[in-house]
Amino acid sequence: MAKLLEVQGITKKFGGLVAINDLSFHLEEGEVLGLMGPNGSGKTTIFNIIMGDFLPNSGRILFKGEDITHYPTFKRVKMGITRTYQVPRPFRELPIIEDIRISTIPDSIMGSLRGEGTHIDEIKEIAEDVGLGGRFSKYPHELTMGDLRRVELAKTLATNPKIILLDEIFAGLTVAEIEEIDKLLRRKMEEGLDFVVVSHDLKALAPLVDRVVVIHFGQFIAEGSFDQIVNDEKVKAAYFG
Amino acid sequence: MERYSKVGITSIKLLRWWLIGIAVMFVLPLFLPISVLRVAIMASYLAIFAMSWDMMSGYTGYVSFGHPFLIGVAGYATAMWSHQSGFQPPHIILPLFATIPLAIAASVGAGMLLFLPSMRTRGPYFSLVSLAFMMIIYRLVIAIRPDMTGGDRGLPDLPPVVAGPVPNYYLAIGLMFAVGIGLWYVTRSDVGSVLKAIRMDEDVVEASGISTYRFKRFAFILSALTAGIGGAFYTHYLQSISPRRTFGAIFLLEIIISTVIGGMGTIVGSIFGGFFLTFTLEYLRPYLLGAWRFLTYSLVALFIVLYRPRGLYGMGEDIARWVARRREGA
Repeated sequence: MAKLLEVQGITKKFGGLVAINDLSFHLEEGEVLGLMGPNGSGKTTIFNIIMGDFLPNSGRILFKGEDITHYPTFKRVKMGITRTYQVPRPFRELPIIEDIRISTIPDSIMGSLRGEGTHIDEIKEIAEDVGLGGRFSKYPHELTMGDLRRVELAKTLATNPKIILLDEIFAGLTVAEIEEIDKLLRRKMEEGLDFVVVSHDLKALAPLVDRVVVIHFGQFIAEGSFDQIVNDEKVKAAYFG
Repeated sequence: MERYSKVGITSIKLLRWWLIGIAVMFVLPLFLPISVLRVAIMASYLAIFAMSWDMMSGYTGYVSFGHPFLIGVAGYATAMWSHQSGFQPPHIILPLFATIPLAIAASVGAGMLLFLPSMRTRGPYFSLVSLAFMMIIYRLVIAIRPDMTGGDRGLPDLPPVVAGPVPNYYLAIGLMFAVGIGLWYVTRSDVGSVLKAIRMDEDVVEASGISTYRFKRFAFILSALTAGIGGAFYTHYLQSISPRRTFGAIFLLEIIISTVIGGMGTIVGSIFGGFFLTFTLEYLRPYLLGAWRFLTYSLVALFIVLYRPRGLYGMGEDIARWVARRREGA
């Protein structure tokens, strides 16, 4: 299978702290990759680098073989890479349907002046698809964490992505909500979307992922199927000391 | 909550409020004394400056303390080229139909200059950089080539665009409504939605596949264009320009307080705020001395920021909704 996303030898330092150290992994087409690691291992940092929020000190990010290391975030999103945030970041003054609509506004002044964005019926379809039906006019402060995660997902889906980076998508959810989000992600996988999933919740992650990469202190320590990973001595040492 | 397409029918319906406003303002000279018209002229120009500030700061959240810089660039540009002593050297005196467009273009150029640091700074850092722009031009105008700028005293005896209070009134309100409708249309489109979203969380807008740089630049250009139009015509209305008045803290406060009182991020609110501030400043003059007046306005602005962040415009919307609910109930 072709490599869709490649992280090649990325190193990121914050002052004297090496957050990511010569990290390499890739995502293949038609695959769901789990990215695991204890707290502070650099999972979100690597997401930020993939999205262009931070520039790495060295290394490259490739999407479909194209070097995108220095591309601005919006360009990466237009190419098909998008993300959710560990702590949901809705637009606090907007009802959720308007929040999702922002992701469909064309990246051009003239197009935006003419209102050439996605039709509202399509936006409603996306919102309904992630389970937000009947709550279009709610504001973020009126929603549960589960619904905020759905809004995040709807926003990513509205950008017509090829890859979604899911950052702790199950954090703060009830068991029932985890099941619902899990079902939704499986459906999206069947529809052909590829994911990189970061999660602390190993139980929730297990049935979703085809392959897992484990990092610790910003370094690659193991790779394999979920069962191989949980029995790996280096992984056990990283998690349990 | 079915009103998603803001451009189109909804805008056309709301346009009638603009037409009513224009009609009312148009006939006012028939009923009001000249002294009131003079206050209305000042209010119209303050409203233009407030709309310019709102376009940049109220929408994007990039709070500019350097707006008088944009206004002053336009004012000084047209003043220097049209002043009787001429632009020295090479001693050129241009007609107003040439100096005003040149001044507006200069203001747009200055806006781009102010925009550049916004790519690197955000929040209070941008505000400080914009303030520095204003202080730098203040010093430049006084110290560098006072033969061209008039130095500390400024440039007097500039030619007016039109003569007399009534023509000046129509010119001022004409400019105010033209600028107001233009900016209102832009901000009710998806451009306005993106700019408001930038104010709330710029990184998330970028992560939606939108170049925030492109939209901020557009907002800054429109803001500078508006400041340029206001600055150039205001200078010729006053027929003079001086650095203390143009780059003073009071002028900056008047612009910001007008927008805050009127309602930030609304454009129309800036017109309400400009008129409210100018008229109350004028008519409270006998009762409140200078420093007390500004203290009062600062406190009113503080109250609005804390308790009524949508300003007069928001209060008007609330009243309209209340009336609509009462009608439905009746």
